[in-house]
Amino acid sequence: MRALALLLAIGAGLAQAQTTPEALALLRKIHHATQTLSYRGTFVYQQGDRSETSRIARIADSAGGVEKLEVLDGVPREIVRTRDTLRCYLPESQTVKVERNGDQRGFPALLPERFTDLAQHYVITRGKGARIAGFDCESVMLASRDELRYSYKLWADAATGMLLKARTLNEKGEILEQFTFTQLAIGPVARDKVMPRPAARSWRVEEAGAAPANLADAGWSVNADLPGFRKIGEVRRRLRESQSVGQVVYSDGLAAVSVFIEPLAGHREPVRPGLSNLGAINIYTREVANHLVTVVGETPAVSVRRIADRVEFRRPQ
Amino acid sequence: MKAKISELMDGELAGQEVASPLAALREDGEAREAWRTYHLISDALRDTRMLSRDFAARIAMRLAEEPTVLAPAARPEAAGERGRRFLVPAAAAAAAVAMVSWVAFTPQETQRAPAPVAQAPRVKPAAPKEPARVPLPVATDDYLFAHQGYSPRNLLPGVAPYVRTVSGETAARKP
Repeated sequence: MRALALLLAIGAGLAQAQTTPEALALLRKIHHATQTLSYRGTFVYQQGDRSETSRIARIADSAGGVEKLEVLDGVPREIVRTRDTLRCYLPESQTVKVERNGDQRGFPALLPERFTDLAQHYVITRGKGARIAGFDCESVMLASRDELRYSYKLWADAATGMLLKARTLNEKGEILEQFTFTQLAIGPVARDKVMPRPAARSWRVEEAGAAPANLADAGWSVNADLPGFRKIGEVRRRLRESQSVGQVVYSDGLAAVSVFIEPLAGHREPVRPGLSNLGAINIYTREVANHLVTVVGETPAVSVRRIADRVEFRRPQ
Repeated sequence: MKAKISELMDGELAGQEVASPLAALREDGEAREAWRTYHLISDALRDTRMLSRDFAARIAMRLAEEPTVLAPAARPEAAGERGRRFLVPAAAAAAAVAMVSWVAFTPQETQRAPAPVAQAPRVKPAAPKEPARVPLPVATDDYLFAHQGYSPRNLLPGVAPYVRTVSGETAARKP
């Protein structure tokens, strides 16, 4: 009897360690829905003891769509995104921060062929269904295969594939953050729902002015050295008072890590080397050759730290 | 007296108050036993395996057992070496005890000092196991905004990840 129980347990373990085609199909469906659906809704973001409610609206069109996010709790802010431009409106400081994607290809999206790659680093399986915000949902679990990334659980509308709930979990299975729709209407959305407030026209504009760059030319060696993470962007940009900040972004298709390199000269605040954390986000700061290196990612501390520790500078010959 | 010993350990005694428990500790009796036991308890609570019961005595014994570098084995006849052989471990044990007492007596001092600020390492550190925990950088929201712009938008509804900010409480947040 005990042997049978053991066999069953091993069987279950093996079954769990296998990515299933049904689970991959559901992931594709979710991805497709985020690209093609128009919707309006309200969702709650939870992280630690904090929770924030936001309104979101998206109009899908042939030009890549327009989306607007309006944070309803805490410091007011609105974010409007088109295919290649992102604007963050901050009413309190009457500022608009603008990010334009340098290479005109639009912001990176997960390409369908990379779903199979995901299975190398995550075990992707179907979970139990649930009812969320009135929608009957199917769920999919992406369990990390190593300590370099977090695990995720997603719930999506069984009919359309629209994501209704997403959880990020650490290696102990603790919830680091969660997005949950409390109300959602899928269907056509009026244009004015994705427009910024008219008053913002007179606000101060902060352009990131990101342009493609090659940091190696300036003597920087940045290397992710994390299995599954590929470089998806390398730019020079403005960031706060720094006029020329190097940014290199790596992603495994789900999580991303940015490396920021900026000169220490003219940096107003004192540098505190070390690790800091905000839910699923880890930030590692260190000083290299009179530059401040800040690695920011929605990955475990070990990943941001490994990338940060690999950053080197050699004066170009 | 045990209560006094405990207070002494916790650094709760001031000025003249430390005199009597210190005097009690000098006599190897109940007080010294309590002192050891309390340290053992505190080590256990902090999950410290390094220090434990009879730590000082064990260190002294181990040192005594170790071959003395000062006395090459080829010269056992040297009369003066024997004396030194005993002297060195005794001195080392005394140093160990002194260090333990110093550690035991100083924590309150260090706690009262302003919170240590992580300094940029001058010398290349030998890859510390645990990095220093620091408060979120003042520019965290800017970094996050810049980061999200290039993050893959795939499963989460497009702009949703932008809710990840510190909402102006950056400076107030603890590490």
